[in-house]
Amino acid sequence: MTLDIGGSQLDTSWFLLLSAILFVLGAVGVLVRRNPLVILISIELMLNAANLTLVTFSRQLQNLEGQLFALMSMTVAAAEAVVGLAILVDIFRTRDAEDIDELSELRG
Amino acid sequence: MAVLGGIGVVTFRQPIRSVLSLVLVMLALSVLFLLLSAQFVFAVQIIVYAGAVMVLFLFVIALLGPARELGRGRLRFQTWLSALFVLVLLGLMWAMLQGVQYRQPDKADMSFFGTVQSIGVGLFTTYLYPFELTSILLLVAAIGAIYLSRKRIDDL
Repeated sequence: MTLDIGGSQLDTSWFLLLSAILFVLGAVGVLVRRNPLVILISIELMLNAANLTLVTFSRQLQNLEGQLFALMSMTVAAAEAVVGLAILVDIFRTRDAEDIDELSELRG
Repeated sequence: MAVLGGIGVVTFRQPIRSVLSLVLVMLALSVLFLLLSAQFVFAVQIIVYAGAVMVLFLFVIALLGPARELGRGRLRFQTWLSALFVLVLLGLMWAMLQGVQYRQPDKADMSFFGTVQSIGVGLFTTYLYPFELTSILLLVAAIGAIYLSRKRIDDL
């Protein structure tokens, strides 16, 4: 399926493929990296990839709801980043944890 | 460009480089949003994401100091397992992309599509209820962040 963008034809599936690749990269980051900060960053990357998919389908179907939902997910991502970073700062204040596996026990 | 930045996010050892390459990803994605005639989402992406959220990340990194990541250590098998998992995930997504059936697009007025006005009309009429819910979500997040980052009384 092609999109008419500025007079030239572009294939929708390129956008979707890019989004899939970015999402998978974010998943790799979450699974492989051990610094909790970098894991949060990778989650942001995955949310951005999802946003790209939403906007792409919104353009493809010429339906505005995808863009509205992308805005909603941006709000959720901002809230998630704020709370996650606050938790991180709190954890780092009590102990110096560079490895998320060191935080596996839930004792105060 | 975006893929390069994404690889940078995952591979750089220092968190600050990961953040900067994530900024690269976001700028590239914002250009794509503009290409997909989503002007308002483009502006919000640059202002809110590449501006505010990334500055927040940079502040936290500056606060915590440069924490270099150590070697792989005892969970080496986890890396291989995650590589396998991710390859399967990518394959599944690729297979799904092959089978996507597009329905006939709605006949929207493309000169009006994605402008601030059309977004605002959608946000304040049809989707007023979710919009108000996000305000509560942001309030809760702000209160939670203040609660978590306050100075404890027994710390003093």
